[in-house]
Amino acid sequence: MRKYLVSYTIALQQVLQRRSSLLMDRVGGIAVIVSLYYFWMTLLGGKDSFLGYSREQMLSYVLAMNVLRSFVFTGRGWELVGDISSGRISSYLVRPISYHGYALALDLAQKTVHLGASFLEVGLLVLIVKAPVYLPHAWTTWLLFAVSVALSSLIFFFLEFIVSSLAFWTSESGGPLFCFELFLQFAAGTFFPLDVLPAALRQVLQLTPFPYMVFLPINIYLERVGAGEALGILAVQGAWLAAIVWAALSVWKVGLRNYAAEGG
Amino acid sequence: MASLEVRGLTKVYRSPEKDPGLSGALASLFHRRFRETRAVDAISFDIAEGELVGFLGVNGAGKTTTLKMLSGLLTPTSGSADVLGHTPWRREGAFQRQFSLVMGQRSQLWWELPAQETFRLNQVIYGLSEADYRRNLGELVDLLELEECLSVPVKKLSLGQRMRAELAAALLHRPKLLLLDEPTLGLDVVMQKKVREFIREYNRRTKATIVLTSHNMDDVVALCPRVLIIERGALLYDGPLGELVAEYADHKVIRAVFERPVTAAELAPLGKVIEADGLHAVLEVPRAQVSKMAAELLRALPVVDLTIEEAAIDDIVRKIFTHA
Repeated sequence: MRKYLVSYTIALQQVLQRRSSLLMDRVGGIAVIVSLYYFWMTLLGGKDSFLGYSREQMLSYVLAMNVLRSFVFTGRGWELVGDISSGRISSYLVRPISYHGYALALDLAQKTVHLGASFLEVGLLVLIVKAPVYLPHAWTTWLLFAVSVALSSLIFFFLEFIVSSLAFWTSESGGPLFCFELFLQFAAGTFFPLDVLPAALRQVLQLTPFPYMVFLPINIYLERVGAGEALGILAVQGAWLAAIVWAALSVWKVGLRNYAAEGG
Repeated sequence: MASLEVRGLTKVYRSPEKDPGLSGALASLFHRRFRETRAVDAISFDIAEGELVGFLGVNGAGKTTTLKMLSGLLTPTSGSADVLGHTPWRREGAFQRQFSLVMGQRSQLWWELPAQETFRLNQVIYGLSEADYRRNLGELVDLLELEECLSVPVKKLSLGQRMRAELAAALLHRPKLLLLDEPTLGLDVVMQKKVREFIREYNRRTKATIVLTSHNMDDVVALCPRVLIIERGALLYDGPLGELVAEYADHKVIRAVFERPVTAAELAPLGKVIEADGLHAVLEVPRAQVSKMAAELLRALPVVDLTIEEAAIDDIVRKIFTHA
């Protein structure tokens, strides 16, 4: 276990070392949160509720989205692609450490820094524009929300692992990864609550793991679903996670075989 | 005791084949043909504990493929290997804790951070106690003269410094077996010499078994009493470096210094002229005729000085490769 803890602390140093790319990431995030915040303010106008969201809930959705985007959707898929296509991954395969565990530790380090930054941003926004913040009434909501976010982070980690593993077969896996990340953010509800979509599209999306990654966890937080329904969401998340982990490990296994087959 | 026992190790790569042009690309979408390449073809050898062995071959001969199988990165198509009592491609922790693989062009160091962070990580990956870690690190820093590189981000190090830090990272856990793939690639002559001296000293001190591939002959001549030569996947020679010369060198080299300038035409009847710049000449002469030709040279030309030498090893190896 200690090796993963040390991996985590080293990765933490590395993230902080890359100050400029961290700063760029955050500036992009702030631009999104500020524009979405004012977009919804304008749309709400003087109304007290919209699409079944109270004013407070809708604006809190935007703020929560920034936090979740920073935590759930922060990963190092690009580095994995680089490790595979440069062959750097070999140096991990010959050492007594699990690459998945190692990658997860590195991901957590990134998430830690980005989570901290997103809290800071949301805090500043709340202070400056006096944004209303919805706080759950029941303590169980916090618990359900935390478990739900942990599950969606793991779903994201393994999904990204599958897409990045394409690098085992093609040197052009950066493209799929980029499309995947963009589509994922849309389908998960990081730009707007999925309630704004037509019912038919929403039903299709319900069949995928994506709404379970941001949209539904925020709904748990905003207490728009009851405790029973929230448990149901967690169960579906668990099932998706199991399926995705299985798929990721299978793709990895085949990919490694393919990787090894490349000469030299 | 044998450190490595390799029997009939074979690796066949399957790669898709495509006819030229767009029609070929379309056809390959529906029907894929595969071409099989025998990268390593039934090679067998033993390496004893503490040996320092050079693995020679031109690019694509199968050196790296063999090294990858011995380190467990590749599963062979057939054959077996027993490395330190383990089958490498099972990738057991007990095996991985006893060996190290260093690839000249690939780095395990964290790029943006000082090398000592990677060293710390390797300490916990290999489960080294604090005392062992400090002792081994101290020794390596000393031998590799790494003192001032420890706290500098790896990306700021020179290639030579980085290679030495790479070696330190790979050797912290005192592996019993060290596989080195092109350890001096890209280094300048002074640095090459330093790395070589280190490898020899490390082998002497720790009795670690070392297998190194290189296409720099100087590495092999300086370090390896025994060489394995591989060509198109097959083992061509396995034995002492010295015997390689006796077995394969069909000629000797005569160097001569003259009183007055001598032309290449005057030298031609005596042997193959390698170099002739007037006052100096180098000739290649068949082994059996060396004394006869040397006498003839002394008789016919105004020789001031004359030496007879064995052919250079890299020449011999190059000859083996071109004849194979």
